[in-house]
Amino acid sequence: MPEPLLELKNVSAYYGPIRALNQVDMVLYPGEMVCLLGGNASGKSTTLKTILGLVQVGEGEVYFRGERIDPKPTSYRIEKGMAVVPENRRVFPKMTVRENLEMGAYLRNDAKGIKEDLDYVFSLFPRLEERLGQMAGTMSGGEQQMLAMGRALMSRPKLILMDEPSMGLAPKLVETIFKIIKTVNERGITVFVVEQNANIALSIADRGYVLQTGEVVLEGPAQDLLHNEAMRRAYLGEV
Amino acid sequence: MTASKLASRSTLFTLLAGLLLVVLIGWRIAMLGDYTFARIVQDFLNALTLGSLYALIALGYTMVYGIIRLINFAHGEIFMLGSYFAFYAMTLTPMHWGLALLITVLLGGTVLLVLRSLFNLEEPKRTAALALLIFAGTFFLLAFRNMGWIEALLLSMLATGVAGVLLEAVAYRPLRGAPRESMLITAIAASFFLQNMGQLLFGPRVQGFNAETILNRPLNFTIGEETVYYTGILIVVPTVTAVLLFVLNLFVSRTKLGKAMRATAQDAEVAQMMGVNVNQVIALTFFIGSILAAAAGVMYAIRFGQIHPLMGLIPGIKAFTAAVIGGIGSLPGAVLGGLLLGFIEIYVVSLFPTLSAYKDVFAFVLLILILLFRPSGLVGEDLTEKV
Repeated sequence: MPEPLLELKNVSAYYGPIRALNQVDMVLYPGEMVCLLGGNASGKSTTLKTILGLVQVGEGEVYFRGERIDPKPTSYRIEKGMAVVPENRRVFPKMTVRENLEMGAYLRNDAKGIKEDLDYVFSLFPRLEERLGQMAGTMSGGEQQMLAMGRALMSRPKLILMDEPSMGLAPKLVETIFKIIKTVNERGITVFVVEQNANIALSIADRGYVLQTGEVVLEGPAQDLLHNEAMRRAYLGEV
Repeated sequence: MTASKLASRSTLFTLLAGLLLVVLIGWRIAMLGDYTFARIVQDFLNALTLGSLYALIALGYTMVYGIIRLINFAHGEIFMLGSYFAFYAMTLTPMHWGLALLITVLLGGTVLLVLRSLFNLEEPKRTAALALLIFAGTFFLLAFRNMGWIEALLLSMLATGVAGVLLEAVAYRPLRGAPRESMLITAIAASFFLQNMGQLLFGPRVQGFNAETILNRPLNFTIGEETVYYTGILIVVPTVTAVLLFVLNLFVSRTKLGKAMRATAQDAEVAQMMGVNVNQVIALTFFIGSILAAAAGVMYAIRFGQIHPLMGLIPGIKAFTAAVIGGIGSLPGAVLGGLLLGFIEIYVVSLFPTLSAYKDVFAFVLLILILLFRPSGLVGEDLTEKV
């Protein structure tokens, strides 16, 4: 077994007195694509926020690239190689596409590397290159999703965390977005994607975790989950 | 649908109000009869100066609001501190070298600590160079120079900027994440505290602020047969303001930290996800806002010739009004609102001399009208909170 890239050991997290995560164990290996499934309020977003340090770990430990990071601030984790595509995209609406991409490279100082990554982002999303000077808030939902993904790639991350990339997009666009996620993953970047749309997520992921009221209730290879009886009934809309 | 209807209605209202104002002013000028071109020029110069000062202070309110949604009521007192720092720098120098050294170490040390944390100066070489520059510069100014207004202005801006950062660190940072009302009340408390601290430290008396002769030397000129009263300060204030606005605009639109500031104002959580240190950005915002307030404070003192510990109150409230009129959170809005308020104040007094006792009222009447008909301000886009 290779050294894990990200590991959650026995993590619990709280919002005041309410427990949002209960003794969650997860592990991601380099180059994998893992999806995190679950219904509303199952703790998916909290898991992401805990990994990022936006929610503090109550109990348990988080390791990233072999180092314990749960006491570290968010900026440290970003610098160490995490990047986020947040829920609802959340591009900076009153900044141009170019400025949004620059914000993705905020912690970097290597002008040459940034230029290379900008070209890589343009090769994935030619639309962004056409719209460089446009205010991000005036773009369509799909374009904003592309921008949010481009912005995350600009930090040259080891691990990309995606929160509901399919939300609010037309089915055809969802397919495109997931194809690009797969391309990014094939480049060696580990992808951890939170999704409501279990079908499409499992069809391209290597493995999956299923959360329910803050606990991991199922985990395994994506193909197994896709054909798991309980899973199909609960999340894939089959009776 | 309704939103666009509302927007077009408020645009219509603005147009109508503007038209009405122009008609009213024209009618009034015709009525007065003796309102000559020279007076128009005179009023314009006075209004530009006053408006520039309001604009500089208003920027501090609007920037802080944009980042942490706090009306920093102590901002007027920061403005007051700025004028006092310059006052002491100008009247107490050159100092005995021992005292100068002590102040250099205290002031320079704090300035350095604050600058280091603001700009993430991690290279020891750069920090050492900066430290040398700050310590040597401060000591030289304090011990060997009779400080002129330019030196005093720069020193006061630096010291006041640091005071603003300290205010944020002591009064507001511990309340991060607390309800907004708590922060607001703390801001009012900070304002009272600084007023009383000022009375204790600086004395409650009004002090004369004797700027150099060059700023007060009359540069009068005549138009036709009338004299326009003009002094150096009337050139200095708009010029310094324009330079500062230009630099601020460059900083916010071109530099990495400036972009981080805008990003934080738009979505602090996502800015954090990009690796932005939000505490650093907030401190930087207070630093810049306080620098601008100090510049306004020093120039205000030169213009009106006296300072006292409560002097920040009225300009502070007016500048806050200006920021709201322009659209709080918007930088161009603050400048526009400040200038507008300056012009209204001067022209109301000039056109309606009988109403001059009420000149402060007009600013607030305008505020009420704006809040009623265009609550997001003249250039503010929307007031709805992000969802």
